Amino acid sequence: MMSASAPTFAAAAPRPRRRSAFRQWTEREGVFGWLMVIPPLLFLLALVGYPFIYGIWLSLQDRPVARAGTFVGLANFVADWKDPVFWQVTQNTFVYTIAATLLKMVGGLGLALVMNQEFKFKNTIRALMLLPFIVPTVLSTIAWMWILDPAFSIINWLLRYFEIANPGPSWLGNPHLAMLSLIIVNTWRGLPFYAITLLAGLQTISPDLYEAATIDGASAWDRFRYVTLPLLRPVIFIVTMFSVIFTFADFQLVYVLTRGGPANATHLYATYAFDVAMGGGQLGMGASIALAMLPPLALIIFAMSIYMKPNKT
Amino acid sequence: MANIVRAASRRDVLTISAATFVGGLMGAARAGAAPKSLTMMHESSFIPPYDAYFKNKLAPAYEKATGIKINYETTSVGSQQTRVTTAAETGNGPDMAQIAFNWAFLFDEKLVDVTDIAQEIGKKGGGWHQASAEACIVNGKWKAIPFGNIGQLMNYRMDWFSEVGFKDFPDTWDGLLEAGTKLKKAGHPFGFELGHGFGDNHGWLYPLLWSFGGREVEPDGKTVVIDSAETARAVDFCRTFFQQTMQEDTLGWTDVSNNKAYLSEQISCTNNAESILFIAKRDFPDIAKVTGQAQNPKGPTGERFHILNPWSHAIFTHTPDHKAAKDFMVWLMDPKQVGGWYEVAVSYYAPFLHMFDDAPLWHAEPRNLPYRDSLSTSHLPGWPAPISRPQSESVAKYVVVDMFAKACAGKSTKDVIADANAQLKQIFRTA
Repeated sequence: MMSASAPTFAAAAPRPRRRSAFRQWTEREGVFGWLMVIPPLLFLLALVGYPFIYGIWLSLQDRPVARAGTFVGLANFVADWKDPVFWQVTQNTFVYTIAATLLKMVGGLGLALVMNQEFKFKNTIRALMLLPFIVPTVLSTIAWMWILDPAFSIINWLLRYFEIANPGPSWLGNPHLAMLSLIIVNTWRGLPFYAITLLAGLQTISPDLYEAATIDGASAWDRFRYVTLPLLRPVIFIVTMFSVIFTFADFQLVYVLTRGGPANATHLYATYAFDVAMGGGQLGMGASIALAMLPPLALIIFAMSIYMKPNKT
Repeated sequence: MANIVRAASRRDVLTISAATFVGGLMGAARAGAAPKSLTMMHESSFIPPYDAYFKNKLAPAYEKATGIKINYETTSVGSQQTRVTTAAETGNGPDMAQIAFNWAFLFDEKLVDVTDIAQEIGKKGGGWHQASAEACIVNGKWKAIPFGNIGQLMNYRMDWFSEVGFKDFPDTWDGLLEAGTKLKKAGHPFGFELGHGFGDNHGWLYPLLWSFGGREVEPDGKTVVIDSAETARAVDFCRTFFQQTMQEDTLGWTDVSNNKAYLSEQISCTNNAESILFIAKRDFPDIAKVTGQAQNPKGPTGERFHILNPWSHAIFTHTPDHKAAKDFMVWLMDPKQVGGWYEVAVSYYAPFLHMFDDAPLWHAEPRNLPYRDSLSTSHLPGWPAPISRPQSESVAKYVVVDMFAKACAGKSTKDVIADANAQLKQIFRTA
């Protein structure tokens, strides 16, 4: 037995491996790091960097669709500056983004606090809460189109049934109500994203902190104000930043519900840029309108990073 | 030095040999058999049998006759321009496409000159309607083969009009205002799109402006003339028309809204294509029985106008075999083929060839005849100026539509015209 097993041990003993020079080189920290970073970097360059640079190049040209462009410098931006609709679009985009983001922030936080409690069917309800975010935007927006439809609106039917208003409001026909309707639909769609992310943040807060605060005599509001909110600030910052970016550049919702009408009351940068570039065949001008989103968006993010970022001290 | 010369010469020989070999192969392939297939990209029709007829009858018939498979690729309603833009910009994709409005002009450089076959088809088909030339001839060359016009006319409830004393559809805008006022009081308001759709808004607002004598630009395509007494009268009329005959909702309507409202008996009159009657016959026979169609009313100038909404077929320059595509177009537009295609759509696409002016397709449903008769008074947005890039921009920015919509929402006539004037001057600055 012993004699038979002895050679086995000898065979199982680790053999010194000769690593190739290439392998050793790739395993160096500096090289390995770059090897990991390069694929996503190339991916970003191809799918984000190239279109972005191409967009800038287009915006500096008089570039009709299907024709060669001529370099015009900042002429497209000057034309935008003088275009009254551009300024209306700018105002619309800010109103839409600020109102929808605030509503999502407050509503999402409230929803997350409720979902953080113990109650029956908690997991099922948490899963259902995500539905508006999961359903494809175009589909859910078509459902909203029926809800807000003047003839078939369930809201207006209820208003008529309870004799509150007859006929009901023109949700998409009145310029102010149309913007309000879009904000409501955007909030409905974006709320779960806020709620689920904030819920994840809430669950990282140690119960010991609440216990300590309670022993110190803190009320429910105090615990929220001095424990929950400060510890949740990093998550709120990230989720708000994402939300602002998505809302500022929103397209689908407006395109399905109003296409920017009535009389440009709901046109946002993205929808206006699309109409000018695709409908009007003015790719250069369309690109300049789309790029105009960049400075205000950068400013908003910068301001947010100052006011909302948690103190490192 | 001698070595370098010798080396270069060897490389040259290899390069030339390789190029000749590959070029020869390609040339042989091109000069040889016809392509195995061609692709036609088309916007989905509101009349479903129309697409089915191409796929199930025309394409197999052409394959049987020539061995060339025709792929019929449909795009969703409203997205055809984006797809055509992609194909033209990338030089890839379908060989042929259905185009609309002024796209022959927009995509001019990426479309094959089809003057030869347009003339041949026109000659065989009794000549082209003038309106088709307005849409397809760019700098003296035909850039697409005209197919048919999707007219935008008045769709109305004959029974309700009759109840308020209008046995026939009013011949003037004033008459229509009178009828609409009575009908709204009777609980049957009108519903004309004033929002940002892509067809039904332009369908009545440009003709309204023109019939009052208003224009955006002079025929020179440069001089902006929207700020006129005629435009002011048209805007004033539109506001009154809106207030006395419609509900506020129409300000936010898109193209599906008026179809839904009409077929659910919410409105008594709208401006739309033949699709309302077509769908009513299929799904709402009682409404179909009392639905009438009429040309747009005359304005104070004594003239009536309609929007030209032409569908044509064009060949992309990136198509490898232009001749094969042209041969298919000639075959397609032969009365034996195209006649059946028109018929299955029940005149939804009013043929641009004069030989169909009195074809049986018009007599299958006499209520559709106004769509044929409207061809002679139909123009593209921007008329009487020729088609141009600034004109496309004006349509894309809804300058005329919003001028009327803002007035209906309460802004003064002076202000809305000033807004439109400023926008048009900005748009036409380079014309």
